[in-house]
Amino acid sequence: MMRIIPLIALIGLLFASCTKEVEIDIPGYQEQIVIDGRIETGQPPFVLLSTSKEVYAPTDVDAFLNGFITGAIVTVSDGTNTVVLTEVCSGNLPPGTEEIAAQILGIPAEDLQNYDICAYVGLDPLIWGQVGKTYTLTVEHEGQTYTAETTLLPPTPLVNTFWKPEGSLTNHGFSWATLADPAGQYDAYFWEANVIGNAAGDTTETGFSPTFNPVFDDEFFDGLEFEFAYENPHAFGEGMPDSTRFLYAQGDTVVIKLSKLDRVVYEYFEKKYVQLQTAGNPFATPTNIPTNLSNGALGVWAGFSPYIDTLICEP
Amino acid sequence: MRFLATFLLLFSCAISWAQETRTLSGVVTDATNGETMIGAKVYIPEIQKGALTNTYGFYSLTVPAGIYEVEFRMAGIETEKREVDLTSEDVRLDVEMGANVQDIGPVVVNGKAKENIESTQMGQHELDMDEIKTLPAFMGEVDLVKTIQLLPGVSSAAEGGQGFYVRGGGPDQNLVLLDEAVVYNASHLFGFFSVFNADAVKSVSLTKGGMPANFGGRMSSVLEVNMNEGNNKRFGLTGGIGVISSRLTAEGPLKKDKGSFIVSGRRTYIDVIMKNAIPDDSPFAGSSYFFYDFNMKMNYKISDKDRLYLSGYYGKDAFEFANQEDDFNVRMPWGNGIGSLRWNHLFNSKLFMNVSATFTDYEFRFESEQDQFRFQLRSGIRDWGGKVDFTYYANTRNKLKWGANYVYHTFTPIGVSAESDDVVFDTGLAQKLRSHESALYFLDEFNVNENIKINAGLRYSMFQHVGPFTRYIKGDGISTQDSTVEYGKGDIIQFYHGLEPRISARWLLPDKSSIKAGYSYNYQYVHLTSLSAVSLPTDIWYPSTSKAKPVQGYQASVGYFRNFKENMFESSVEVYYKGLNNLIEYRDGALPGDNVNDNTDNLLVFGDGWSYGAEFFLKKRTGKFTGWIGYTWSKTERVFEELNNGEPFPAKYDRRHDLSVVLSYKLNERWVFSSAFIYATGNTLTLPSSWFIQNQDLLFAYGARNSTRMAPYHRLDLSAIWYSKAYKETVDPVTQETIKTKKKLKYNWAFSIYNVYNRANPYFLYIDNDGDFFEGTFNISVQQVTLFPIIPSVTWNFEL
Repeated sequence: MMRIIPLIALIGLLFASCTKEVEIDIPGYQEQIVIDGRIETGQPPFVLLSTSKEVYAPTDVDAFLNGFITGAIVTVSDGTNTVVLTEVCSGNLPPGTEEIAAQILGIPAEDLQNYDICAYVGLDPLIWGQVGKTYTLTVEHEGQTYTAETTLLPPTPLVNTFWKPEGSLTNHGFSWATLADPAGQYDAYFWEANVIGNAAGDTTETGFSPTFNPVFDDEFFDGLEFEFAYENPHAFGEGMPDSTRFLYAQGDTVVIKLSKLDRVVYEYFEKKYVQLQTAGNPFATPTNIPTNLSNGALGVWAGFSPYIDTLICEP
Repeated sequence: MRFLATFLLLFSCAISWAQETRTLSGVVTDATNGETMIGAKVYIPEIQKGALTNTYGFYSLTVPAGIYEVEFRMAGIETEKREVDLTSEDVRLDVEMGANVQDIGPVVVNGKAKENIESTQMGQHELDMDEIKTLPAFMGEVDLVKTIQLLPGVSSAAEGGQGFYVRGGGPDQNLVLLDEAVVYNASHLFGFFSVFNADAVKSVSLTKGGMPANFGGRMSSVLEVNMNEGNNKRFGLTGGIGVISSRLTAEGPLKKDKGSFIVSGRRTYIDVIMKNAIPDDSPFAGSSYFFYDFNMKMNYKISDKDRLYLSGYYGKDAFEFANQEDDFNVRMPWGNGIGSLRWNHLFNSKLFMNVSATFTDYEFRFESEQDQFRFQLRSGIRDWGGKVDFTYYANTRNKLKWGANYVYHTFTPIGVSAESDDVVFDTGLAQKLRSHESALYFLDEFNVNENIKINAGLRYSMFQHVGPFTRYIKGDGISTQDSTVEYGKGDIIQFYHGLEPRISARWLLPDKSSIKAGYSYNYQYVHLTSLSAVSLPTDIWYPSTSKAKPVQGYQASVGYFRNFKENMFESSVEVYYKGLNNLIEYRDGALPGDNVNDNTDNLLVFGDGWSYGAEFFLKKRTGKFTGWIGYTWSKTERVFEELNNGEPFPAKYDRRHDLSVVLSYKLNERWVFSSAFIYATGNTLTLPSSWFIQNQDLLFAYGARNSTRMAPYHRLDLSAIWYSKAYKETVDPVTQETIKTKKKLKYNWAFSIYNVYNRANPYFLYIDNDGDFFEGTFNISVQQVTLFPIIPSVTWNFEL
């Protein structure tokens, strides 16, 4: 169904014959708290707090770093255990949390200490993610309280994963998977890939990145078993030839992560990716991203319940 | 009921005036081609009584018995005068006008002079097709909808767009009729061209205020387009070759003076240009776009009292985008098919009847294919309708109309199929919604006295949504799952009905000016749901259901009308207020895909709106210089409980100022120069007011709905038309006299320049961001997209 979104973008491009920058009044800005929280099976809860910025606000590094909120009280409860998260800063992270922080911030783990970005982490393993549990997040800051709930649902294992060359290419292609969707229940998925090695023996990890349409639910395929292809989210950008863009090379080793989401978290990510693809396009409706957070906060408190598999790209 | 009682009282008063009278009736036709003339004035100066011919050229005038000199007037054609003896019996007089039009020199143009002052109708504009053809044309395509957009109270959706907004109503609130059949999507090429081929169009009339009771089903306006009937005297060909399209029209008698036909076709060749522009080895080879349309009409006079008309339109747009590299292919065809069969019957000199059977079909499809994934979406509407209208010309003071109409609608808001290899995805049933829409009406146009004339009517409309139908009830996915309710064939799922009073009045003042006032109440049972800020073929027509209630609303208007200098100048000032209830919008964040396995109305939110404004109009009708100036001040707002925190917000086409200046100068018989200047307050739109970061992605939060206003829109277009000589002059060798003989081939060159001073008008704005935070290159900016720079064009038109 998402195929219509590229079409909408395409029509926009067809008519975008002449573009220039303009200064125009955009009224209605109000600073809002942004809560970027996640909890994953076997992982500690991790929360970043920041504020939204006016469209015309400065966008340099200082403005970015000054946007993070410190001094808030952040707690996570699974109904039995309630833990106050520890505020930790990028220059002084507890062992084992560097990779999570690096992934969320988009900064290489080894560079984290160069910045002073503070996050809230649940160091107590009692509150680390477990399938079947519902986690409640509470953030208290400047007299306001924000809450949200997310549930770690049982993951759906893939039937199989495989790789095959694309078209006339012999050593590049999409990776494929077979999904057997459980019948009679609502299921929503989030797809990520991490390339951890290649044919030349390079074992530098790319880290998990979402594919281009990483989020989908089973509205069209409830109870069906089917094959589908997914792109390589790391194979694009400058220097990447058009012919192999988005493809996996023969010999790549890929760790794939298919996370189950609850419905509200799915709706957040669905609208997020729609906005990323259509923001500003006149042929799309302005898409504000819904949230499971209360009290006017932006962002999401997301539970990820992954099934993880490793694929070696060989025919 | 009080309204009805007053109405009947006035009606009975009006009837009682008819004493010792005779009726003059007949059909007025054009002598050059035999076509009936719409809006010709039949006038008896001695008693200052007159009538206008209707859509079928018929008139009826009941006056005290006597012998009169009767004038037949039509703009641009010499007035015909006939002496008529009405002392002892009614007279049937069919008149051909314009037989000597080429030889009369300066034409006496007084056909509908003063009609703007004397009629009860407010906010009505009749456009002259000859005048439209002299105005600047975008890419050489003469376009009547774009001309309508130059009138006060009417605004365009966006640069080049066909969607038009009348007095704060949405584009779906305009009833667009082509030979009495409804046109749902009147545009080609994403709205840049109208479906109406100017060569096939005979008359255009827009009613934007005080809709009379014989029209209904829409809130804001009626655009009546009547096709040419074809020449019933001789065969002829007309056509044109333009920059992006060409057209050809053939017409002629089926049987001389009895019946005629016209067929007209038009096709663009953008696809041919694209094919040559895109090399075969390009990844985009195979991408193309074209549209074509085809009009036909036949009419046959069975007897002096009976005439048949058969009209048809078929048009199609085909857009294809191919990306060979990604093995990605998109096809997007859409089009209208429209037909109507009409029978005119004269029971006697006073009672005229028209019976119509109409058919309308609109379909939009979207098909994509990539690798082994195939996807198809279709949406459309199909109507079968019938109507009967009676007109009774009681006397010169009193004209009655009544009738009934019925339409069976079949809506396919969305039907989707998707498959990957051999797995067929569950996309739900292709939803179809069926409904019956019907109405009865009665109206009376009568003179209370010499100065006061009233048009009062009542319409009773009904709408039934019937089965089969599947109602989807969405669960939360946790404690409640989705469920459905099934309705069987013929089950009445929802029934709406309502009375629609309409009244307009004219008070003629001693200084030959008039004051008019009108009030109308309307129901609209079909809705257009639009996800985008501009009109697209992807907009979905949706009927009223148990969730989507019919739009209801009223319009009240008052105006002052005055002509100057022997009707050389027409002027008017009108103010209006319009209130609308049960308007629809998609809820925030709705997506096209959300329609699947769901009912579209589950995605809608409902609210109210209002619009008010003042319109100023000054037109110069005659002389070498003609044209008009229209200015509108208006305000249009909406309020939806579930949008914008329940606060009122401006409609996207809310425009405080709208100015059009249209000028035409006829230098001589060979050259006509025209210009059109437009200024309009910028459209509103919703832009993000803030940004934030989540998991490395830059995301936006939108501010108040439609709170940003684009820069004003203004543009100047110019055109010049050079006409070939209509006559060949030879000298008689014997008498040495100059003899003029009419040339068989007449042609003209039409030169147009669109956007003369190359104004970069905003089509839309978007937020752009690029760069990297940590490299210090990150930047957010607002970008404005402009569609059309200065565009010259030339078209060669001919008539054979």
